[in-house]
Amino acid sequence: MDILIGSLVAGVLIGMILALVALGLTIIFGVMDIVNFAHGEFLMIGMYTGLLTAQATGIDPLLTLPVAAMVGFLLGVICYYGFIKYLVRGPMVAQLLGTFGLMLFLRNLALLIFGSEDQALHRGILIGKSFDLGMGVIVPATKLAAALLSVIAFLAIWLLMNRTKTGKALTATALNARGARYMGIPTDRMNALAWGIGGASVTMAGALLVNFWSVNPFVGILFTMIAFAIVALGGFGSVPGAFFAGLVVGMIMEIPGIWDFLTYALNWDWMANVPMTSLKYTFVYLAYFIIMVLRPRGLFGWKR
Amino acid sequence: METLKSAFDFSDFPRLDISIAGIIAIFLLVFPLFSHSAFAMATMIQFLMFSVYGMGWNTIGGYGGQVDLGKAQYVGIGAYTTAVLLIRWNIPFWFSMPLGVCLAMAWSFIIGYPLFRLKGHYFAIATIATSLVLMDLFSVWEFVGAARGLEISPIKYHYPDFWRLIFKKDIYYYYVILGFFFVGILYVNGFRRSRLGFQLRSIRDNEEMASSLGINVHWAKIKTYAIATAFVSVVGSFHACYIKNIEPQDTMGLDLSILIALMAMLGGAGSLWGPIIGAAVLIPLKSYLKAWLGGAAGLAGIDLVIYAVIIMLISALEPRGIWGIVEKVRRRRWQ
Amino acid sequence: MALLEVLNLTKTFGGLSANQDISFSVQEGELVGIIGPNGAGKTTLFNCISGFYPVSSGKVIFNGKNITALKAHETARRGLARTFQIYAASGDLTVIENVMVGCFMRTRSRSKAQAAAEEILNEFNLTGIGDVFVGELPVAVQKRVTMATALGSGPRLLLLDEVAAGLTPNEIEEIMANIRHIHSHLGIAVMLIEHVMELVMKVSDRVMVLDYGRKIADGPPRTVAKDPEVIKAYLGERFVREHQEML
Repeated sequence: MDILIGSLVAGVLIGMILALVALGLTIIFGVMDIVNFAHGEFLMIGMYTGLLTAQATGIDPLLTLPVAAMVGFLLGVICYYGFIKYLVRGPMVAQLLGTFGLMLFLRNLALLIFGSEDQALHRGILIGKSFDLGMGVIVPATKLAAALLSVIAFLAIWLLMNRTKTGKALTATALNARGARYMGIPTDRMNALAWGIGGASVTMAGALLVNFWSVNPFVGILFTMIAFAIVALGGFGSVPGAFFAGLVVGMIMEIPGIWDFLTYALNWDWMANVPMTSLKYTFVYLAYFIIMVLRPRGLFGWKR
Repeated sequence: METLKSAFDFSDFPRLDISIAGIIAIFLLVFPLFSHSAFAMATMIQFLMFSVYGMGWNTIGGYGGQVDLGKAQYVGIGAYTTAVLLIRWNIPFWFSMPLGVCLAMAWSFIIGYPLFRLKGHYFAIATIATSLVLMDLFSVWEFVGAARGLEISPIKYHYPDFWRLIFKKDIYYYYVILGFFFVGILYVNGFRRSRLGFQLRSIRDNEEMASSLGINVHWAKIKTYAIATAFVSVVGSFHACYIKNIEPQDTMGLDLSILIALMAMLGGAGSLWGPIIGAAVLIPLKSYLKAWLGGAAGLAGIDLVIYAVIIMLISALEPRGIWGIVEKVRRRRWQ
Repeated sequence: MALLEVLNLTKTFGGLSANQDISFSVQEGELVGIIGPNGAGKTTLFNCISGFYPVSSGKVIFNGKNITALKAHETARRGLARTFQIYAASGDLTVIENVMVGCFMRTRSRSKAQAAAEEILNEFNLTGIGDVFVGELPVAVQKRVTMATALGSGPRLLLLDEVAAGLTPNEIEEIMANIRHIHSHLGIAVMLIEHVMELVMKVSDRVMVLDYGRKIADGPPRTVAKDPEVIKAYLGERFVREHQEML
């Protein structure tokens, strides 16, 4: 039983961070109708930012969050003004091609700078410690802290979007860009802002993730796909949807754990022979496909 | 009969294009007689392979406007079919290749049916998802060697084995893939002016309009998707015999899918020459950059950085690709 | 037997009914104009007949067969062609290629499709511009290409949705010539949604008026023009009351 609860708790915790990853994608998509294939690469940059800042300054990795947010915001804004702005004039094919180019660019730049080895954090107050949740469920302290900080960051961005004037202007741009322009909202700046906020939220997630997940230049695409799955489930452009869908996808990623539990509980031999751990992410991809085909608006759909 | 005739009919191209194409065709035919560099030969084979991949992608992605980023799964089906049949039952390439095409097309119908209910970005991402699912399954499937993949050991066969496509010298492989390349061009040339070709271009422009003209949009897309699949699967089978070592990551991975699509988009999606131009630019660029820069002094990745910059520039400045630039220049001269 | 018969057709979006209990018929070779204020449900009616929207209730019978549940491409294959208000022919295709897409509905052969398309272009006085991309043409010509494309599919009934909107009198004249050709020369039945009264009243055998999703009048152009219901729909109740003597 503790295997099952342990898996579910792990799913919820990772899901909270994944929600923050997907938040960036859904904001950008909501405002601009463009799918950023380089999203996972933003995350990878966030991971390196967290790692290197912690190593260079000696501060605790969890405290690198503001640095990562700043880097992410700048990265998003630079990408928008330097590239995306020109891209969105073209047809959808060109947009796909372009953000793919961006993905290749960032990924290989990282390869050039950091090399292809896995790098992981070794120092930090919480690293190596764990937390007993009771009922035999023990979670790493870093994971727990990262998940909680993710929720706080998520809420902060959500408040920014809903409670401030700028946030409302952003939402207006998302609903109807042309209408917003006629109302005097500088949509170009809003787009840049969306990229900034989107970038900041995903790099923050990266800085949190690196506490218990090693980083290499190729880590991005996995999270791009996971983020797509979350956004598809939550409804493209929906912020609350991203949160709940993040939790669901976190659970989907823990299917191998649940499978282990079932194998143990049912005591069927053939179940033990299924290489579930290798198929961990397969379920995420499958979930995206099935959700899109059955429910194109997502479970909590808002736009389209 | 008419279809066959239209495959050989290039009369709607300017005479200049046809002459250039003719010169290039002759160059491709005689190239091996002059070149003795193994590196150049390998690059040329890669170029031809990716041209055919690109031509296949171009039918659904270019003429049909459906950005498919999951073509690698069909490379995998073709490659694995050929490799498994050869290794386990000694079945030659010329039987396993058509069988691979059939399997790939069958799979394309199964996933194409739900897939084409999606549009635009959603479609593109879903194609990636399906391809990754299949790759993951192949990575754990012991019958096909799981993550280790399969290896065709050439020692068992007598060189040159035309039935099994096992050669020692690359020149044989070169002429085989060149044959596929020419057949591919002829097919696409006929396709673009066939009924289905016209219908697809109409669908790309406006699906509602297309269906008001009696076109079953969903079915036309599925059919074309299967055609694209056949192209890719054939080269996949060839890949198995040529490389002799197939792994899920190499033959079915996302990188390959993206490369196939990029090739065609960069050259100019929706034009006959586009994918070939794309492959002709990117493949040599890629292998030379890698040979010059990647190998030297730990500059791994720099080739792909340069590569990425080119892709970004093209997509932002001329979304219709290199062929789009050619046509623009030409039209300006005309006026 | 009527070519097209629409029986008690109703279409609702959520709680809003765009078409309510509409019945009418179109005879072989007839030209019926449909007019009505904006939002009267004219285009929705076309979308329901041609299978782009599923109807909420009612029946559409074409050529003696029930086509209510058929999809758009299936109705097209039975001889029901249409044009769209918001977009013209495919901009990325040349004029002749556009028309050929239409012609390919009848034949698999490229040469036959091309021959048929050339003939239609000839009839529409579009011969000179066959190789021009439609996107580069003025709107009026694009609209004519759209009609030619629809005609290419060899319809028995052609639904034209605002082909003359926003055009100059000269251009309307050309369009009118094309419509007359389709109707009197080729004998194809036409239904025509139009705001340009001059055109509707001149070419139609019969005019049908929709208002708030209901059919409020149906008859020869002259009679309909004098119908108090119609005038009320267009000019408002108050106007009719205050200008009783004028009418």
